Amino acid sequence: MSSSSSFPTSRFPFAAGAGAPGGGGGGSSVRPWGSSGGTSVSSSGKRIQKELMDLNASDCSAGPKGDNLYHWLSTIIGPEGTPYEGGIFFLDIVFPPDYPFKPPMVTFKTRIYHCNIDPAGKVHLDILKDGWSPAFTISKVLLAIKDVISNPDPYTPLVMSISRQYLTDRTKHDEIAAEWTMRFAR
Amino acid sequence: MSVNIPNSCLRALDAISLECPDECLGRGVPAAVLQFFDFFSTTKQKVALRIVSNVFNGYAEEDGPTAMEAVPALCNLLQSSDKTILESAISCLALVAAGASGNAEHLSKLCETNVVEATMALMDNEGWKSLRDDTLTAILELLKNLASVSEKAVKSLFELNFCELLKQMITYYSSSHHDNDKVQMLVELIYQLMLPPETSDQQTKLVAANRNAIMGQTTYKDQLASIVALIAQISKSAAQSSVCYSCIVVIGSIVELSTPNFLTELQKTANISSFLTCLLARKNRHILFQALKISRTLLEKDQEFFFETFTKEGVRHAIDAISSQDKNSILKSKRKNSMKERCFCFDLESSLTDKACRVENNVVMELAEEINKSFFLVKGSKKSAHRFGFSLKSVRDFFARSLTPSAENQDKGKQLSHLSRRLLPDELQVYSTFEFVQSGSIRYLTDYLSNAEYCNANPELQSRLQKFAHLALTMSNDGSTKPLGILVGKLLDTLHMCYDTFPVMLSDEQCTRESTMIPLRYPETQETTSLELKFRRSKKDKELFNYTAVLSVKLFSTPQAIEPVIFPRVFIDPETSHKNSNQVKEANRIMKLDERNGLRFFYNGTILNPSTTFLESILLLMSKGEADILIDPSFWDDEHCITYRKRNKSNELSFKSYYNTHLGKLPGDLDGSDLLDMLKVLEGINHCSYQLLMNGQIEKFAEGTLQDLDDLKVAVYPLPRHQFMSSLLTNKLELQMQDVLFEDGFIPSWCVYLVETCPFLLPFDTRWKYFCLTAHRSFMTDQINSSANQVNSSPDQVSSHSDQVKSPALAKKYRVTRSAILEGAVSMMTNHGPSSRIVEVEFEGEVGTGRGPTFEFYTTVSHELQRSGLGMWRGENSEDGFIHAHFGLFPKPWSSSSALLRGVDFSNVLQKFKLLGHLVARAVLDGRILDIPLSKAFYKVLLEQELDIYDIPSFDPELGKTVIEFQALVRRKKFLETSSRTSNPSADLSYKNVKLEDLCLDFTLPGNPEYELVPRGSEKMVTLESLEEYVSLVVDATVKSGIAKQIEAFKSGINEVLALKTLKMFTEEEMERILCGEQDAWASTNLQDHIEFEHGFDMSSPSIITFLEILREFGREEQRAFIQFTTGAPQLPLGGLASLDPKLTVVRKQCDGNVDDELPSVNTCRHFIKLPPYSSKDIMRRKLKYAITEGLGSFHLS
Repeated sequence: MSSSSSFPTSRFPFAAGAGAPGGGGGGSSVRPWGSSGGTSVSSSGKRIQKELMDLNASDCSAGPKGDNLYHWLSTIIGPEGTPYEGGIFFLDIVFPPDYPFKPPMVTFKTRIYHCNIDPAGKVHLDILKDGWSPAFTISKVLLAIKDVISNPDPYTPLVMSISRQYLTDRTKHDEIAAEWTMRFAR
Repeated sequence: MSVNIPNSCLRALDAISLECPDECLGRGVPAAVLQFFDFFSTTKQKVALRIVSNVFNGYAEEDGPTAMEAVPALCNLLQSSDKTILESAISCLALVAAGASGNAEHLSKLCETNVVEATMALMDNEGWKSLRDDTLTAILELLKNLASVSEKAVKSLFELNFCELLKQMITYYSSSHHDNDKVQMLVELIYQLMLPPETSDQQTKLVAANRNAIMGQTTYKDQLASIVALIAQISKSAAQSSVCYSCIVVIGSIVELSTPNFLTELQKTANISSFLTCLLARKNRHILFQALKISRTLLEKDQEFFFETFTKEGVRHAIDAISSQDKNSILKSKRKNSMKERCFCFDLESSLTDKACRVENNVVMELAEEINKSFFLVKGSKKSAHRFGFSLKSVRDFFARSLTPSAENQDKGKQLSHLSRRLLPDELQVYSTFEFVQSGSIRYLTDYLSNAEYCNANPELQSRLQKFAHLALTMSNDGSTKPLGILVGKLLDTLHMCYDTFPVMLSDEQCTRESTMIPLRYPETQETTSLELKFRRSKKDKELFNYTAVLSVKLFSTPQAIEPVIFPRVFIDPETSHKNSNQVKEANRIMKLDERNGLRFFYNGTILNPSTTFLESILLLMSKGEADILIDPSFWDDEHCITYRKRNKSNELSFKSYYNTHLGKLPGDLDGSDLLDMLKVLEGINHCSYQLLMNGQIEKFAEGTLQDLDDLKVAVYPLPRHQFMSSLLTNKLELQMQDVLFEDGFIPSWCVYLVETCPFLLPFDTRWKYFCLTAHRSFMTDQINSSANQVNSSPDQVSSHSDQVKSPALAKKYRVTRSAILEGAVSMMTNHGPSSRIVEVEFEGEVGTGRGPTFEFYTTVSHELQRSGLGMWRGENSEDGFIHAHFGLFPKPWSSSSALLRGVDFSNVLQKFKLLGHLVARAVLDGRILDIPLSKAFYKVLLEQELDIYDIPSFDPELGKTVIEFQALVRRKKFLETSSRTSNPSADLSYKNVKLEDLCLDFTLPGNPEYELVPRGSEKMVTLESLEEYVSLVVDATVKSGIAKQIEAFKSGINEVLALKTLKMFTEEEMERILCGEQDAWASTNLQDHIEFEHGFDMSSPSIITFLEILREFGREEQRAFIQFTTGAPQLPLGGLASLDPKLTVVRKQCDGNVDDELPSVNTCRHFIKLPPYSSKDIMRRKLKYAITEGLGSFHLS
């Protein structure tokens, strides 16, 4: 996994919302992973640990950024047959202290030309908002994000101009998307 | 010619006209003065008009011709653009008309001019709203006088669509202003349009002419029909019998004039029959007489049709009831009343006055019998007069069966749903209110839906309510009206029949307070009216001391409260009387007043209800059930004899509530309390519709008819609250509150009953007014000595009051330091919280004082209480250090085991909640505004409503949704276990295809790992087996035990200032409005109406126009900042800009140097903005924005 210095963060300032390590929704209840003597890990911690174990068995790559169990980093490979093919997209995942009752906050750290992902990296995905349920796991979320990358939904866009282009001039859209992938995601 | 001479003349005439108006009139002064009107200066013109009005004031009839000479000139003045001149001209004309009212010739001459057109032009386009009150009265008086004689005037009024205008005015005054006098006046005016009073030969011709004019034209007819519908409504819901009477007379005369065709049409649009049924249920014989007369006329005009409708709508039933009244009871009630009864036949029908006054009960009865004989008995040979629809009957049978305890419970649910499916959406509309009530369904329905004694099992009741709610709310036929709405409408209609149950008692007709918004009352220290009671021992009682004394008691004293005062003075204990020790005696006395020993009080031999005030009981007994009670002035001078007697078991009566005994009987064996109960149940269903429907969904899931947990959501559209409001009761309470003695405690018990048990019947404004008028009696400091205060003559009372007498109106000042504002607030509230005076705040080191700093203090403290790290609230911390809760603040649960968490001491949290309670109560009393977004659920707690699982989504949607889904899963598991149809119950019991164990939940509170739901909860995992326990523990921790201590502290804070229960009459949304002010700062239209412009500015100044434009362009945040800048609080008080006191005023700022360098400044106490006249809009906006954003946070002299 590459270090965060490769992120084009300086050129693309992202909204502060989920940025600060350990911040976000965590507040003071966020515990460093495995630091508290191991005897009691909170309910959300147990759940996140379990998901981490399950993830290792699957093909998604995601895991804690440092020693903070609640702040993860994930990479998504651009799906084949899409303009994003060949790109590696970094995602920032922050778990709220009342996970899994509240959804994790997922942000793209790599810039991507996509009508459902805004310049700050916010993803429009129902299961990350009202559609969330504790039955979802981070691997399901990542699958859903992969699906959105391959199949953009131009009817509920975050970036109007891209969705308009997607609908009217698909070739041009794909061209720019591929170009951005080359520029930012390699 | 010198201008000075006429001027001096005018001045002289001004003086002379006051002294001897007749002389002036005789010499033609008005005409002379008006002749050169245009040459006078504006001030002189006003003097001239004053002279004219002086002269015309009550002129003698023979001077009529001279008076008429001035009329054309006055009419010309109606085109004047100057408002004062216009108004004086109108009042002069009104005086002319009033003087000539006896003389038809003069009046018709008056009509020849363009008076009618001119006045109508004034009133059009809501012009009447801007007229002064007495001007409007004058205009109406004028039109009334004209319409009474002149056919032409009537005609032109109709042509100018006067009916529409009248309708607007009546609606305005009756519904939003509760101005009974105005309504009365308007109705009388309509009466004049219909029928002139005199019936001399010449007049009969006019009647005919009128009739032709009105009836001949279809457009007029439509106007009339719509006005009848409105008047019928006014009449039904009028708070005073006199208004009701006027309305009914007007309808009577319209009916008299109408053709049968028109009447059948009218029945369809205005439902006259139902209106008659309502009125025939009243006791007032004048109203009964008129209602019967109308019924007779209707039957005479179209017997066939109205026989049918009367039977259907219940008129026939009512007439039957009147004619078959027990004659003895009438004789009894004819006993001389000590209270003089008013006759309503006053000026409306001057010729009828002497005759109508003889309208006695027997006259009414005779008329009823006559109608019965000549119309009903001929046709109605079959005995069963009332036909009910099939389903109503079956509904009744069904409920009767289902309520018997032994009834088989199997298919009841199905049966009910089958029945209600037909009843609620389709048939309820078809059946008349009378039929519905008469069928008795209401009572059965109430029993069925409320926890009546027949129904022990709670789950059963729950499912009944669910099913009913589902049918009544979700099944809207073609989406227009919900069955519940129809049902409530019918019930409210029935409530109109209970008019006599809510007697309005007025102490003095003249002395009423205006009905606009009123400020909150603080405990008064001046002398209040009191009631003189003379206590005497009953002759039958020999045991007690004969203590004869005259006590003057407070108006709100009840026998219950007086009992402890009288008791020790009259009671002789056989044992203690032998002992000498005084102390023992004292101790015994107190002990003796208990259940077995006590006193009963009597007035004229009737036992008094211990919890009803003396005043009300006496008035009710004196008035013999009349619905409007006007207290004779001599009442207050009289001593009222109360006899007392020892209470013993034999005459022990149960006084459960006023309404068990006093609510009148309605058809269908129903009484008013059933009606109110039913309404209460329906309101409850409406209020809890989300809970009920959600529960229904969960049930469905449990039974397997709903497969997917994602389908659990419900769309709820409860009835809007205004559909539950009763105009009759609102009017009555409004009228009662207009009485000056209301705030002294002259509050009839029905008012208290309504406000406490059925607040939903009354609109918010009315309840708020009630609260303002009664709140001073719920101050906690006062309650302590209130029992002592009840009797004025008690000696210790003088001393207890003396310290308050010094400066009752003065506010208490408190100084706080900005840097330690929370500590300051705590100590201020501990010291001054329960004070019965306004508390004001100053900041240390700043010169500002008064309203502004106080408002800012409340705002700042409420912000401080939202800081993260205080441990008070749920929700996310954000970088700015405050809690941001998107759905409102709700207390964060604290485990009972941990007193210290992350450096926060629990006792500090409790202290903060107590402070919040103090702030809330103080803000309500002092009219301050808090800027704190409390959640709806928290307001529910404040209003002492219990929270449950279904409240969680309102402040934490994600958690709430999941917990409810878990709950559904639990129910499904239980259902499967009990039904035992499946051999393997856990087969499909996964949570959205995930095994519950895989969710990795332990027994700690979500988001709060330190809060263990069970001992060592972090080690216990949630499984399917323990899910039920987990859900109930999470719910308990979130909305019950986890926040119980915080809530307790909060409530105790409130209770130290005012009694929390007095707030229970408000809803959550209303509490938010009271505490946090109006959310919608201003609607752009009315901005200039509520801002004043002075000192160099007026409405048309260019600076002001730009200023208003800028204000309108402000967004929500800028509005808040602007309001905070000018008033000290970021939100406007209840009522918005209109209720800002003093009004927001913009004045011109004097600038020495360059105007555009200056900044606007404010005086927050007087709501002054000093605005420099900037050179452009851009600069003004920039400077304003700079001022409102930078100017916050301190008070310094500008």
